[in-house]
Amino acid sequence: MTESNYDEIMQLLCDRLSSLTNSDTQITPETNLISQLSIDSIKLLNLIMEIEDTFDVSIPINALTDIHTVRGLADLVHKIKSAS
Amino acid sequence: MSSTITKLNAPLTQAFNSQPSSELQLTPTPTLNTLTQQLSGFDTLTSALEYAAKGITGYNFYDAKGNLRSILPYSALRQNARILAQRLFGFGLPRGSRVAIIADTSPEFVELFFACRYAGLVPFAMPIPVNLGSHAIYVQQLRGMLESSQASIALANIDYINFLEEAVEETTCIQWVGTPRKLNELPAISVEPQPNYPDETAYLQFTSGSTRTPRGVVITERALMCNLQGIVCNGLEIKPDDRSASWLPFYHDMGLVGLVLAPMVTQISVDYLATRDFAIRPLQWLRLISRNRCTIAFSQPFGLKLCTLRLRESDLKELDLSCWRAAGIGAEMIRPETLRNFAEKFASAGFDENAFLPCYGLAESTLAVTFSKIGKGCKSIQVDSKTLIDKRMAVRLQADGRKQNEFVNCGRPLPGHTVKIVDEDGQQLSEMMVGSVLVHGDSVMMGYYNNPEETNKALKSDNWLDTGDIGFLFEGDLFITGRRTDVIIVNGRNIRAQDIEELAEQQPEVRSREASAFGVNDEDGTTTIVVVIECRLTSVIERQSLTTRLQQIVYMAFGVNCIVELVPPHTLPRTSSGKLSRFAARQGYIQRTNMPGQLSFVESGDR
Repeated sequence: MTESNYDEIMQLLCDRLSSLTNSDTQITPETNLISQLSIDSIKLLNLIMEIEDTFDVSIPINALTDIHTVRGLADLVHKIKSAS
Repeated sequence: MSSTITKLNAPLTQAFNSQPSSELQLTPTPTLNTLTQQLSGFDTLTSALEYAAKGITGYNFYDAKGNLRSILPYSALRQNARILAQRLFGFGLPRGSRVAIIADTSPEFVELFFACRYAGLVPFAMPIPVNLGSHAIYVQQLRGMLESSQASIALANIDYINFLEEAVEETTCIQWVGTPRKLNELPAISVEPQPNYPDETAYLQFTSGSTRTPRGVVITERALMCNLQGIVCNGLEIKPDDRSASWLPFYHDMGLVGLVLAPMVTQISVDYLATRDFAIRPLQWLRLISRNRCTIAFSQPFGLKLCTLRLRESDLKELDLSCWRAAGIGAEMIRPETLRNFAEKFASAGFDENAFLPCYGLAESTLAVTFSKIGKGCKSIQVDSKTLIDKRMAVRLQADGRKQNEFVNCGRPLPGHTVKIVDEDGQQLSEMMVGSVLVHGDSVMMGYYNNPEETNKALKSDNWLDTGDIGFLFEGDLFITGRRTDVIIVNGRNIRAQDIEELAEQQPEVRSREASAFGVNDEDGTTTIVVVIECRLTSVIERQSLTTRLQQIVYMAFGVNCIVELVPPHTLPRTSSGKLSRFAARQGYIQRTNMPGQLSFVESGDR
């Protein structure tokens, strides 16, 4: 897995999050998914489905408990993708 | 756990490596059994399993892509559970000691659950973490359950063991914590299991994520077998060619009692999908029903809504749901539109709306209280809104144009059970009068474990269970008009208002008894949680900090967003005893925000 793949993951996350949340918040790697984007459980499931389908990975539910920011989520997807 | 069973819960690092499909050529357990079906006559869970183990049916576990990952025939379940019980004997625990198990949808959980019963121990299921950033709060919730139950042993599979070990660190009751694999390395003590008795506790069921006041419902073997018999004989009229499919979590009463234990006591096969996999791809559940010709599958209304939302026209062609004869609906208020939308969408896939089977129940009565008539679909009545609010009376709508409310018929109590409706003073009300729903019968819990205060609130004189729900009876059938004010149901999840208030009160700026939580509904039935807090802070930054922090914590604990309103001290209405009234707090909020269409008749006093 290369840097460009990481950037690709980050780009997809930012794009999807901005359409999912419909908010004016500028989404950056440091954006807090909970306090700034109010990602509720339904939106979260939608996002996970899209990530899984796009990158052909399976996101384990127990790993989400330590995710707070967009960067945290991107790191997780990248780690899983690299391990597969 | 057994060499004959493929491992479902491979460690995470392995889970990402897709295995070649040739290794996974499993065959699901058949629908038709070699054993004569026996629906009643078992007095304990283990006696029911001893019988089921003589057949060839059992549990099947599917992955997110719909591949069969492992099977657990009842014969293997019996064998594995008995071996595990011998390992549990090695701890030398007194009969009735509690065993905590994090309940993933896996064969391991079911084996451990039955192993406890063979060893005379009392198992209980703990939830898996589902929310973003919930690590710390989840560990706190686990700790609350471990302490409340005074559990001796705690188990979790490899995915969740770290959380459990963290939770155990600050408890004093736990003697041993580990994975099923670690338990399997312990020596087996060859003791013949002693029989269980109907008066013994079968399991605990936790109904709250509170860390301060967890409530573990105590269910005896008698209550369990009584409720199961009512469900399978009268509610579902189970037949030898029935088969179930389920995505319901094993740590909820409907998932555990309804879709793990009820199939086993009737010796029918079940196909499982993990809750997470259903939530992400709900149609996998329908594909499973279609492919394996399942006849019985339950869901909360919210699950049906998810299926309806995610459906694409192209999906319909590959589905044939004509086999589905019992589509049980329960666990939250049933809105007829949700069912109508589902039936309309899936009619072309062969779904028969007469399969809808509304029912009513709660963990405090094991699972089920009432069932509507099987095969007749969802029946509802329309009543006049004004009379409902002004006189607390349900009057069938006579003329068009009047504002009306539609309520679903939840059917009649199971045999041996009685439902009555009472007013605030506990006086029984006549038909069509709206009041608190009380239940009596053998399925009713013994109480909340180690919690006499909460037990006394729920169990009235002569062992009548106050469900806290509001409704009326009409021609012997129960109609629920509102759930209790102490429970807020968002996206199909029951959240106790008290648990939200407790999170607020843990903030240094909030004093005890100065937070009130409740739900408000949109016109389309969507529920939003509101927390009103009496707040002395004057700085805008400090007020914003409290609001944001609280929203974040509520999210981490329950996976939902909430509205936080800060009000001056003494704004929240109190009862004469100084207790906050959620009902009045909600009315006040609705007035302040001018919310339209909020009905006040659905409220009861806080239990």
